[in-house]
Formats: sequence, C-alpha cells, structure tokens
Amino acid sequence: MEVLTPLLTVFAEPQLLALVALGTFAGIYVGAIPGLSVTMAVSILISFTFTWDVYPAISLMIGIYMGGVYGGARTAILLNIPGAPSAIATALDGYPMARRGEAGTAIGVTTVMSCIGGFVGIGVLALAAPLVSDFALRFQPRDYMLLALLGILLVGSLSTGSLVKGIFAGALGIAIGAVGRDPLTFTERFTFDLQILEGGISFIAVMIGMFGVSEALLQLHHVDKPAIRQKIDRIVPSLATVRKHLPLSLQTSTIGVVIGALPGTGGDIAALMAYDHAKRVTKHPERPFGDGAMEGLVAPETANNAAVGGAFIPMMTLGIPGDAVTAIMIGALFIHGLNPGPMLMIDRPEMFWFIVGALLTANVFMLIFGLTGIKLFTRIVEMPRSVLIPLILLLSIVGAYAVNNSIADVYWMLGFGVFGYFLRHYGYPLGPVILGVILSRLLDDNWRRAIISEREDLGRFFAGIFSSPLSTVLFIGVVLIFVSQTPLWRRLKARVLRPSGT
Amino acid sequence: MKHVILSAVSVLAIGLGAAQAEDYPTKEIQGIIQWGAGGSTDTVMRSVTPHAEEALGGTIVMQNMTGAVGAIALNHVASSDPDGYTLLMGAENPLLYKVMGLGDKDYNDFVPVSILARGTPLVVANVDAPFDDYAEMVAYVKANPGEVRFGATGPGGLPSVITAMINTVEGELDVIAVPYDGDGPALTALQGGAVDVMPAVLGIAIEGIRAGTMKPLAVFDVAETDKLPGVPPVTAFNPAFETYLPWGPFFGVFAPKGTPDEVVAKLSDAYAQGVANPEFVELMENRGFELMGISGQEATDFLTKWQQGTTWLLQDGGHTKASPEEFGIARPGE
Repeated sequence: MEVLTPLLTVFAEPQLLALVALGTFAGIYVGAIPGLSVTMAVSILISFTFTWDVYPAISLMIGIYMGGVYGGARTAILLNIPGAPSAIATALDGYPMARRGEAGTAIGVTTVMSCIGGFVGIGVLALAAPLVSDFALRFQPRDYMLLALLGILLVGSLSTGSLVKGIFAGALGIAIGAVGRDPLTFTERFTFDLQILEGGISFIAVMIGMFGVSEALLQLHHVDKPAIRQKIDRIVPSLATVRKHLPLSLQTSTIGVVIGALPGTGGDIAALMAYDHAKRVTKHPERPFGDGAMEGLVAPETANNAAVGGAFIPMMTLGIPGDAVTAIMIGALFIHGLNPGPMLMIDRPEMFWFIVGALLTANVFMLIFGLTGIKLFTRIVEMPRSVLIPLILLLSIVGAYAVNNSIADVYWMLGFGVFGYFLRHYGYPLGPVILGVILSRLLDDNWRRAIISEREDLGRFFAGIFSSPLSTVLFIGVVLIFVSQTPLWRRLKARVLRPSGT
Repeated sequence: MKHVILSAVSVLAIGLGAAQAEDYPTKEIQGIIQWGAGGSTDTVMRSVTPHAEEALGGTIVMQNMTGAVGAIALNHVASSDPDGYTLLMGAENPLLYKVMGLGDKDYNDFVPVSILARGTPLVVANVDAPFDDYAEMVAYVKANPGEVRFGATGPGGLPSVITAMINTVEGELDVIAVPYDGDGPALTALQGGAVDVMPAVLGIAIEGIRAGTMKPLAVFDVAETDKLPGVPPVTAFNPAFETYLPWGPFFGVFAPKGTPDEVVAKLSDAYAQGVANPEFVELMENRGFELMGISGQEATDFLTKWQQGTTWLLQDGGHTKASPEEFGIARPGE
C-alpha cells in the first residue's frame, strides 16, 4: 500500500488538514480580489514557510492555489470584475445572472462545477500523468502558434453584437501585448523611446482597468437606481441541474486538463476555449449566451479548475512547470531539499501521492467554503452604488499597484479604465481586447520560433505542419473554425442541405 | 495599535537621523529580485536570505521585479536611497547591458555585498540527436550546415555566450539559434525535439541528465565535475577553450553606490554567514553550483574580470550593439 499511505497523509495529520483548509479559505479571498494573484501569494509563502517541513509548506500552497483559481469567479459574477485572468469568461454570463438577482444560484453552480473540474484534473494527474506529459512535450512552437490562432478565432464568440467591432478589439489587444522590449531579441517595439513603455504594459493592469474602472464609471449612470435584490434561497444547485450539465462539464474539464498541462498555456486560455466550446455544442441554451446562460458558467469554471491538476502533470513527471504557480512550487520543492525533475517520481513517489492527496482535500474544502458564506458575498451587490463604486475603484487601484509594486501600473490601469468605458459606450466588446493581450505573446513568440526553426522558409514550415499529425489536426481545426465563421460556410451549408433544390 | 504607531514614528525618526550604521538595520530591508518567482536567481536568493537575516538580526523582504531582462529592477534599486534598505538580488547579465544596448547602468553603479555562487555551463542534446559528444556534434554541424537547432535565451544570455565561445574557437558554425524565454522553456523544447542542442547551466540540466531525458555533450570547464562523472570537459576536445574558461553565470547581492561602508560590511558579513550555512551548502552542491561568498575588493575584481572577458568575447563574435571600448571596458590582458 505504498500509494495509499502518502495519499492519506494529509488526512492522518490534523495539522496538515488544517493548513490545506486555511490555504483554501485564504485562496478564495486572494483570488477574488483583482490584482492579488495566486502566483504572488505562493511566492510570498516560499519565504514564509522556509523553516517549515516540506509537507506543511506544500499543503498551504496547494490550498491557496485551488482556492485562488476558484475565487476569481466571485467578483466576476458579483461585480463584473474578474478576480483573475482565468475568470474573464465567467463574467460573460455570471454578471448578467447577478443582474437578474440570481447571484446566489450563479455562485452555487460555479462552486459545484469548479469542484467537478478539479476532480477531473486531479484524476487525470493521478492516473495518466506520464501519458499526458508525453503528449504535452510533443507540442512544437508551430503547434503553440496554431493553438494561439485557434484562440484568436474565439473573438467571434466573445463579441456580443458587431463582429467587426470584436475583431477591432481583438487586434487592439494584440497590439497592446506587443508593446515593450520584444522578448526574443530585446528590440524595442512601440516604445517611442519612452522609458515607461520599455517594460511593456502590464496585462493585469489592463484587465483591472478595462473591467473594474470602466464598470464603476458605467455604474455612475445609474447611481440613483436601487440595487437589485438577490434571491438566495436556492444556492446549492439541484441534482437535476448538475446532471444536465455533466456531459458538457466533462468535455470542458478535458480541455482544461490538456491546456493546463501544456507548459506555456494555463487556466486563462483554457477557460476561454472552454467557453467557446460550450457555445458551439450547446444547441438550445435556456437563455442566450451573454445573457446569463448556465452553460457559460459551467464551461470556464470546470476548465480553469481542471487546469490546476493539469499544471501539476508536467511538474511532477518532468520537473517542468505547467504554469506560473507550479513554477514557484518547483522552487519551493528545491528549497526544501528535493530535486524536482523527471527522477522525483522515482526517487520520492510518496511526494507525488501526497500532492495528489492534498489537492483532493483542497478541492473538497473549496466546495465547503464555496457554498457557505454566499449570503455575505451577495450583500456586496446589494450595497448602494454610492458605496459600491468608490469601493470598486479602491480595489482596482490596490490591485493594480500590488502586481509589480509600481505606481506606473496604476496610471495604466486608470487610463485603460477610461478608455474601456468609451469602448463599451460605443459598443466595442472588452473580452476580445483581453483575449488579444493574453494571446499576443503566445502567437508572436511561437510564430517566430517556428519560422526561425525552419530557416525562415515558408515551404519548409508548411511541410513541417503536414508531416506531424498533431500540427495537421490543429491546422485543420483552425481552417474549419475560420471558414465556419464566414458567409461562405452558410452558402455551402445551404447548398449541401438542398442538393436537388434547383 | 498605539504602540505600533509609536514604534513606527520612532523608527522614522531614527531613519531621519542619518541612519546610524551601528543601529543598522532599524527597519525592514527590501530585497529586489531581478528575475521571476521560481527561477534560479529567485530560488537561490530565497534559500540564502533567511540564514543571512538570522546573522543580521533584521528582516529582508524579498520581492520579484521582472521586465526588460532585469533592467527594470536594476534601475529601480540604482535610483533608490543608498541607505542599505534597498538591495538588488541579481545574476550576471547586467554586466552585459551596456554592450547589448539594454541600458546605461550596470554593477558599476553598485557596491557588491556578496557574490554568492557560480554555476558551471555544459552543453546538452536531445537524446535522439545523431551525436554523442562535443567533437561528434561539431563534426555533424560542419557536415550538415544549417540543420542543427541550438536553443537560445536572447542576446547576452548564457547560450549566446557559449555559442560565441564555440564559434570563436571552432570557427563559425552554421546552426539555427531558436530563442526561448529562458533556459527552462528551452530545455523543455529540447526534450520535445524542437531544439537539438542547448548550452545550459549544470544545475538546471542535472536532473534531466540523471533521468536520461537529455544527454550531456561536454562540460564547459577545464576539468571534469564530480557532479557528472564521465562527462569530459570541453578542453579535452579542444584545448583552445582554456583561454576562456572557467566561465560561468553567478548570483550576487548588491547595494546602490554610496551606501555607507559599515552598512555594506554588516550585510556582507551576514551573507557570508548565510553562504556558509550547511543547509545552503548542501542545496547548492546538489545543483552543481560552486559557492563563492566573496565581497569587497575581491568581488569587485571578479566582476571587472568577468565583464572584460565576456563583453570582448561577444564583441569579437559580432554579437554586441556597442563596443566595450565605448564604456571603458578594457580588453582582457591589456
């Protein structure tokens, strides 16, 4: 029973159990505040837990990680301000629900779905880690580039209203992401010789400004309107609801695990891709997407929590971080005298099973803490707007400053907030802007890596794509999704459906 | 609460009272880490600093400030008050900023508190690569120009220096240099086959070599290392490398120029004790780092020599944006 003992270590020692619980609880709040990120919390914990033993230190970090990924949804639903990049998609349908007075239901569903996603991620980690990490390693720069292209095509589903405006917003996001020293050659781009632009524009500052400040400004229009009363009688979703969304949640969890396991992509991209997937496969949502569709909550929330387990896969099997948080945890293991790498599973298998156990525990605590205390949270949106708006602004400023301890980021945040307000005013969706910023680097770096690897020869580049099954599948996916969004597709479909029409 | 305010006020008063070195430290010290959380600089700093804090009897709050290959953190600390309450925790690359056109400041604007440790470079290859040691690799590259992919981390990074060294010694090799965000992602790409060869620091590659997910071609040092028995030093293949070796990246703690000597001495002493801590020694040895713990003139000399050798090597390889001469960096041996 060499598996069971370390797996259950965390249950056997009350101290570890308490630390996981504490971490998860704190994580939910850290995650809910925009700008306070899990990455930051975990890196502070490294110094804090320096003198501890490795088990307690890891227990606390895992709790924070699990809780934090879930916590981002809270403010996304209640205030339309995602607490973390991975909750951007959650705001799209979560906030409309809160405006209907269904914040309690929305939080209940996200909690249960996050938990399901979390279990799928941990399950894959426990049972198929070597298999998945082998697959993840196979991704070449050109595959990451194709993945980023797939992501860019999500602009279509994130744009409410005009697609043209959505494409403009997406392109704007990509341009914002390109500002600063180019990461491959360190050449300055769009910096106009200004020092403030040299380091690039903090993506978190853009996100907080665009969602937080612009939301506060927009609310000013209705400052005298009474707040919406929230119904909180039914928080835990019924078994029927869960069962209805189970097939979708399993699909989106799979997306989450795979995207999470890829070194270089994380929960933010996973959640957006899952949202797009849900929009594609759900033929008849109860309400249209963007208007408070339950499916629009299920997809991103399962995916981003499944990505947690996914991110541990390359970390535990190869010593390669799946995302920023696992990168710090590798450092933590190192400081505690372990040697993270491909030999860790062989030298110290008990460490692997202990982490699986701690993740499972954190997932359960997340469910418990998530379903309690909702009443208190929903009070936030019932506050009078004259209190709420300054509070949002304050949180936004603190959050933007905390990312890099830089006052310049606060200015960026405020500037993008005002800019975002006007964008929204004129019907430009903000989702695609953030999507563009997230994907800018992924697309840019990997396209260049891919073409440099082929000696800057397009012929060799395409030959490379079609000689690899993985690249070919991704390429076909990009082409199909692109064509399906053009008028050509509708005409083609019409012709196929009525072959003998004329 | 009253108590806290009172002590805060008194701390402030002491701070204003010309920060007497005997009392140092009277408040929290900020340690700005040049690189992101989880990287090697970050892990080294977070492992040594708690031991140094103990010796110092003060608190050092560490914070990562990334961007522009560390130049943002460097400029931030260089422009802060030289009172010993803001320290830079960095690696070797700022010494290349000037010649690479990345900034006009480097460690010459600082006083070295302690050069903690030095890493040994080596060259690793994908397990399926059609060569098994350094000599075979050079022969293969010469027979197949423009086919072999080298991992890189951008201008001034360790791979660029090692590649420049190889090109200087062996004559220009026609390889494709594929840039990655850091040695971690590049080694991931190496295992996935996107890159064939990667110059890296021993510490980050050692676990992969142990597990057989990558194979070592040569250690870039003048002698074999006991961490990797059986892997020959590159000088065994070509003695001409002796001119440039030993060479390696390093980690160090720095204070802005103008920091009172007594304060620097206190900090240097604390970090020297931190480096000597058995836990830290074991940690660094496991990862193949060589401990240094030097300060004062010794550290300054080390930095000068390092900068001269590396910048001129890059200059001669045609990798720089500006000649070291422009910044008064003398050619080694002159």
